[in-house]
Amino acid sequence: MLIGFDLLDRQILDRDGEPVGKVDDLELTYDDTGTPHVTALLLGQEVLGHRIGGTLGRWMAGTARRLSGSADRPPMRIPIDLIAAVDSAVNLSVHRDLLPDPPLETWLRDHLITRIPGASHES
Amino acid sequence: MKRIFAIALGILTAIGGFVDIGDIVANAEAGARFGIAHAWVLLVGVIGICAYAEMSGRVTAVSGRPVFDLIRERLGPRVALANLGGSLLVTVLTLGAELGGVGLALQLATSVNYLLWVPVVGFVLWVALWRAKFSVLENVFGLTGMALIVFVIAFFRLPADYGSLWQQASHPGPPTGEDWGTYWFFAVALFASALTPYEVFFFSSGAVEERWSTKDLLTSRINVFVGFPLGGLLAFAIMLSAATVFQPLSMSVDTLSQVAMPAAIALGKLGLAAVILGFFAATFGAAMETGLSAGYTVAQYLGWNWGKLRRPRDAARFHTVVLVSILVGVAILMTTIDPIQLTEYTLVFSAVALPLTYLPILVVANDRGYLGNRVNGRLANTIGVTYLIIVLAAATAAIPLMIITRMGGG
Repeated sequence: MLIGFDLLDRQILDRDGEPVGKVDDLELTYDDTGTPHVTALLLGQEVLGHRIGGTLGRWMAGTARRLSGSADRPPMRIPIDLIAAVDSAVNLSVHRDLLPDPPLETWLRDHLITRIPGASHES
Repeated sequence: MKRIFAIALGILTAIGGFVDIGDIVANAEAGARFGIAHAWVLLVGVIGICAYAEMSGRVTAVSGRPVFDLIRERLGPRVALANLGGSLLVTVLTLGAELGGVGLALQLATSVNYLLWVPVVGFVLWVALWRAKFSVLENVFGLTGMALIVFVIAFFRLPADYGSLWQQASHPGPPTGEDWGTYWFFAVALFASALTPYEVFFFSSGAVEERWSTKDLLTSRINVFVGFPLGGLLAFAIMLSAATVFQPLSMSVDTLSQVAMPAAIALGKLGLAAVILGFFAATFGAAMETGLSAGYTVAQYLGWNWGKLRRPRDAARFHTVVLVSILVGVAILMTTIDPIQLTEYTLVFSAVALPLTYLPILVVANDRGYLGNRVNGRLANTIGVTYLIIVLAAATAAIPLMIITRMGGG
């Protein structure tokens, strides 16, 4: 598997096929022999911003960091052993509720969307 | 009846591409000034969008992934961000123009200035996207938009000079009094609007909303090969009837009420009523398409929950993007900018997004990792590569032509 081609930027789905996020970056850990291993998927606009780089990337990372509430909150991390299969998406073996909620989604849901009538209705 | 509704997605997508407010006027204007010398452009556009919409429908049905997912996967986050920026700008500006178009259609019916209608239309659009089922929206507006078929009927009731129409169609080029620059400006504008990026984004996301799978490949193909030619036919009928009525009188067309004239002349009040209904449904449908597409592209680029198949509280970021896009659209219109000119400007931004949209679709449509044995055949690849070259040429020519001809005015 080529991690740049088969893993990075893929959609991540939970065990029911619900979107979790994108593989915005990867966590690499070096073992005793110095060989790198992918140990986790990293998610969120902050890591994505760092990967994009430049002024736009810094702006994206900065905005995401401010919206997350705390400056030193680590990025969302999904350990590699939660991956069940990789096809056109990265499929996890767990349900989304067991993973931390993305801060922007939570904030917008609590402060904007659920205050509008009909937010909880199936359309 | 179920069969008819099954192609509503294709029809609604095509309406947003071929007969949204900018195109309604552009087709009539081209017809009045050049006759049907641009007929071939519509044909070329229909074939191109059919080829690429078929690929994206197939990729989505087989892999379950909408097109913008693939753009980021294949081109990486930076180039995909450039595409996102370009296409989002096109989509939101077009959304603004469509809101104005709905307002203009209502102005035709009520004589109340369109600017007063715009906030109302914006609100109704938001309610529709917030509450109504996806299938209801596409059925109602896809099928009502077909009222524009009245232009086809009108053409046959008008005393047309078939000989000179055939002459124009078979000898493409500017008539006396017009120059080649303006001719090509219109050609590029009509071609680019046939292939606007939000069409494939909307079509493939709609396929996910309708939960298409491999067994729906036939439905996808029928949607593509019925919907887009039908959209092209409506656009052609508008051009044709304008060419019949206005070109012999050397009149130019620049307002929506003038576009409606041929149908009113040929069919009277009833024809006019059908045209106004068609304008309303087509522009409102295009507004829905662009409003949803704005949310789809941002959510799919960043991996968020999206779509009308979820409750709004489960797709809070998606619904926020849709809401903000509508507000921006209304705000743009409230500057009293001409909605028809606005869509012509979006062409410039389309130029960036078009090649970056169609290249990854072509690449993924050949990827066995996604499609197994359903990858592109030789025909799809030949057409795909040919159109990629045409799209690149049109993208490069768009801005110089716009400057030289002063937006087709010169």
